[in-house]
Amino acid sequence: MPLPKRKTNISVYKGTELTKRRQELLDKITKSDSFLPDSVLHDDLDKGMLDYVNETFVVESEGQKIPVVNKILTIQRWGEFANNWEFSDKDGNMDLPFVAIIRKPEVQLGTNPSVQRTIPDRHQIYYASVPTWNGTSMGADIYTIPQPIPVDISYDVTIVCNKFRDINKFNRKVLQNFASRQDYTTIKGHYIPIVLDKVEDNTPMDSLDGRRFYMQTYSFTMLGYLIDNDEFEVKPAISRLFTMFEFLVDNKYKPKKTFNKDAVVQKASAVADGIQRVFSVGESIGVLFEVLVNGEVQTKNVNYLHVAYTSKIEFIQTPGQPIFPAEGDNVTIIYYKGKSNKIAGDNGKVLQFIREEFNYSGNEPTDADGNPVYIMRQEFTEIITVEINGLAEQEGIGYEIYSMPINNGFLSTVKLLGTPMLNSKVSVGYLY
Amino acid sequence: MDNKLPITRLSKFISQDDFDINIQMGQEYLHGDINFKLVLYRVDREKTGIDDVYAEVGLDEIKYFPPIEFNALVKIEEPKNSSYKGGLLRYNEPGNMTLSVYIKHLSELGVDIRYGDYIGYPESETRTRFYTVTNDGKVTSDNKHNMWGYKPHYRTITCAPVQDKTFRGV
Repeated sequence: MPLPKRKTNISVYKGTELTKRRQELLDKITKSDSFLPDSVLHDDLDKGMLDYVNETFVVESEGQKIPVVNKILTIQRWGEFANNWEFSDKDGNMDLPFVAIIRKPEVQLGTNPSVQRTIPDRHQIYYASVPTWNGTSMGADIYTIPQPIPVDISYDVTIVCNKFRDINKFNRKVLQNFASRQDYTTIKGHYIPIVLDKVEDNTPMDSLDGRRFYMQTYSFTMLGYLIDNDEFEVKPAISRLFTMFEFLVDNKYKPKKTFNKDAVVQKASAVADGIQRVFSVGESIGVLFEVLVNGEVQTKNVNYLHVAYTSKIEFIQTPGQPIFPAEGDNVTIIYYKGKSNKIAGDNGKVLQFIREEFNYSGNEPTDADGNPVYIMRQEFTEIITVEINGLAEQEGIGYEIYSMPINNGFLSTVKLLGTPMLNSKVSVGYLY
Repeated sequence: MDNKLPITRLSKFISQDDFDINIQMGQEYLHGDINFKLVLYRVDREKTGIDDVYAEVGLDEIKYFPPIEFNALVKIEEPKNSSYKGGLLRYNEPGNMTLSVYIKHLSELGVDIRYGDYIGYPESETRTRFYTVTNDGKVTSDNKHNMWGYKPHYRTITCAPVQDKTFRGV
């Protein structure tokens, strides 16, 4: 006989049932005007116990509710009397029966498993994000609270009476509520468990001469926890700011340099704002190799002006036309810094700049992939730009350079990584 | 109204007049000759604001009825030189005070001394010490408090000293 099939995907909480319940509990403890829970301290826990006993252990004797002394009695004697005098006889003694609650003064660190010391050092835990608005900017406050401190508070609930039937009624009431070991009281929205520890009889049965009465004590432990709002922290989160920058025309704006200053060739890039016409590299330009706007080579005295050995490039504006370069255009200036047109290499060798122009005819030597290869007349030291129809190419993407050894030196070549249109103008500028 | 039952016991030896004259002579000695005066502060248990859980009040928040001066026979025990626990922090405070007060005197003043009330005893011109009633002696059924078994005529009230932080008559 086969084994019965077992269902392995039992859904304990269907859908969003658990989420809703959690939200309901959260709403309950934060129903006050703040987003944070109220403090739950010793007084609140004691009051919760008083209320619990008053509301739960309602027992009648001779048609009247057995009164509960509705205070935790302390050493203050008149206070004790003040709370008893309603039920007192002419001698000032309490009329029987009555129920009193005595709290053991010591409060131990708790055993409630849900809030035991799992998070060390009173670490602050995220509780809520609360949006804020200061009239200018929108932001948020982050509310954090430490883990609640578990506490065990012991109470003795004592019934003193003259009738055995009253003891039975009270006992029945207690056991009915603690048939499942624990019962709950609600303190500021929190469900706090109470455990029945033991039932003890303190009836002075052996007192033959004295007054006879019954007295039974029920010992309870409240598995509470302390939440102290003095420990809450509210910190501002990141706020959104609306930041504006203003640039003046012809200011001293210096573009960020993204290359090595020690190199022979300098390259300065800037993003145009649609207003600025003059761009400065912040240092004297000895030799201006190229000015590019969005990778397109600009022509001196047509598109821009440059006075030798100055630092500025001024773009020429056409009346009635939009400002050039437009907002967002990427302006790149490639130059050799210095106040001379003599370019010195790392080893002190004077370098020459040359630009070689080619027309792509389709008959150039090619590599195995059919990419055209151009042989330079000089053995170059550094490639400045490779342009196809005025558009600058990037090394490794648009071209590659090779240096091949020959009998008395090296042969410098530039290989295009792709085939341009026929009659395209290929321009290679380099130092040698 | 409570039923009144005439006391006729010991009628061949003592009457109400005898009872009254004995008290009168005692009062003459107590009030006139030795003249121990104390001040009774009766706590107004309704007007005093207490907290909901412990029935406690803060400093100087105990409300009391107008203080009343009364006479009593005063006996104060020796001061205690003690410590709180196992030699921890010494304290030295007066012993308990035991008062014997005529029931008739309290009745004439129209007051009752109850458990928890405060009593001021002027120890010197500049120092009044306060005590709280720990036993108001209301139960006077024993022979000692009955004049030869005829009727109760005085109460023995036991008081314990309190610190100024608890009560200082303010």
